[in-house]
Amino acid sequence: MSPWRSLRWQIAALVAVASGVVALAVGLLVHRSTFDRSLNLGRDRALTALMADPADPGPLPAALAAQIGGPDTYVTWYDDRDPDVPWMWAATTAKAVRIDMGGELRNLRALDRHIVLASLGVLGLVVPLAALAAELPNHRLRRVARTARRVADGDLEARTSAGRGGDEITGIAAAVDTMAAALHDRLRTEQRFTADVAHELRTPLTGLVTSAELLPEGEATDLVRDRVRVLRTLVENLLEISRLDAGAESADRVEVPLGRFAGDCVHRTGLAAEVTVHGDPIAVTDPRRLDRILANLVVNAHRHGRAPVEVRVAGTTITVRDHGPGFPASLLAEGPRRFRTGASERGRGHGLGLTIAAGQARVIGARLGFANAPEGGAVATVRLN
Amino acid sequence: MSVSVLLVEDDEVIRRSVGMALERYGYRVASAADGLTGLERFRSGGHDLLLLDVMLPGLDGIGLCRRVRETSLVPILMMSARGDALDVVSGLEAGADDYVVKPADTSVLVARIRALLRRATPAPGTPRLVFGDLTVDPEALEVYVAGERISLAPTELRLLLEFAANPGIVLDRQTLLRDVWDYGWDGDSRVVDLCVQRLRRKIGADRVETVRGFGYKLRR
Repeated sequence: MSPWRSLRWQIAALVAVASGVVALAVGLLVHRSTFDRSLNLGRDRALTALMADPADPGPLPAALAAQIGGPDTYVTWYDDRDPDVPWMWAATTAKAVRIDMGGELRNLRALDRHIVLASLGVLGLVVPLAALAAELPNHRLRRVARTARRVADGDLEARTSAGRGGDEITGIAAAVDTMAAALHDRLRTEQRFTADVAHELRTPLTGLVTSAELLPEGEATDLVRDRVRVLRTLVENLLEISRLDAGAESADRVEVPLGRFAGDCVHRTGLAAEVTVHGDPIAVTDPRRLDRILANLVVNAHRHGRAPVEVRVAGTTITVRDHGPGFPASLLAEGPRRFRTGASERGRGHGLGLTIAAGQARVIGARLGFANAPEGGAVATVRLN
Repeated sequence: MSVSVLLVEDDEVIRRSVGMALERYGYRVASAADGLTGLERFRSGGHDLLLLDVMLPGLDGIGLCRRVRETSLVPILMMSARGDALDVVSGLEAGADDYVVKPADTSVLVARIRALLRRATPAPGTPRLVFGDLTVDPEALEVYVAGERISLAPTELRLLLEFAANPGIVLDRQTLLRDVWDYGWDGDSRVVDLCVQRLRRKIGADRVETVRGFGYKLRR
């Protein structure tokens, strides 16, 4: 935003224009009435002079001569043919007189000058004052905007703390606060639901997991065990998300040789991915959490994208790339959301893997970015610091 | 004579299925459905390992753990229903040697039990190791502080033997998890921190030095 388009200067300009218009109108009125009064006085003086001692002023101007109708008609005429040397004529049949109006003209011009100077002086005072006064609401508006941006960036505890005032700015600030509180409530409800579901499922699931292991071997048992495994992964993911939501997680940092680590991590997922390493980068980070991030990205690339999946380690940046349809627009815009995988062409899923990856990245202070490669395919980037 | 495990767990399905699974692996399993019964069964004797749920009616797992530790050094494995930091830390502080998070595969559970039951087996003929007023006898598995014999739980003893074998050398948490607890690579390092704390209480706080950001070492 250009500073000259700020509300402060808009208000100052408005005040300047309004003051200018008022000054112009008052100035014109004063000028007009002063001029009229000096004309009246000039007429009286000219007629008095005509009665007293009519001198011969020489040939009458045509405009005056045309006005003289007959005897006993007295006419006056303001002669400004030379604007700097005005005269007031008074005439009757065969008699005429003219008097100098130069003094009045000079007085009028001095008055005009004073009006202009006074107007400029007032403008010079009023515009900075208006700009200063506009700074107060401006400051409050900027705070509201800052708070709204913080809320948009995910800080749902942010409030404008607008205070009292009852004007429109307090109104909009209160509305932003209400919006943030409503968002916060919704998020809390979502988080509590996730945690409750996961905790409630855990005990029966534990019994199910151990009981399924006791079943006699067979095709049916394999089916049951497979579904138990899926159910278990889902519950464990939910539990992990609810722990991340609670914000009680902390990183346990050690030196990690990234090249070997990425290779091991891909190997543990049991999925195919081509790992390329540039140099011999070492990062100080939490290996268990980094493993969760990379494993989830690789699994996600296989589940929702298409092979080949490429893992590239360059410095402390790790990218996981697939050759599928790419991330859906909603994910690129809003980041990963639980139970939302966006486009159906990306296949089934719970949207939990990327939510976990993003949450774990926050814990270890890494930046996790999602993008689509220009030639197609999803690219997830982990930047460790 | 097979190894006897006392399982204290309130959920009937988990108690029965874990019991049956452990029996398949050759363990003898006695079980109790609440903390007080568990304590009674334990006091009647003959158990080589305690497998405890954290959330129990009556006396909870942490309380039970503390009561058992007053008189016994038997290995204790906690099953944490929540995996919450608080549960795990209070369990380990109360004297548990390790924990598993529910739901755990039987194979994982058995691996943890085996690691806890594994006796420290140093090479024969290892001489006594002396560090100031601390004396470690790796053959007799005895530890003396200022000439007085102290009793260490098996995990504490294994941790001390690991330190004693590398005096003055910094051992990081991952190494200790691998060598003492038999974890592959993804163990929880709080287990190490809390066991080191318990060891310090017994052999003197300044004997095991914290090297910030790396791990621990035994002062020579």
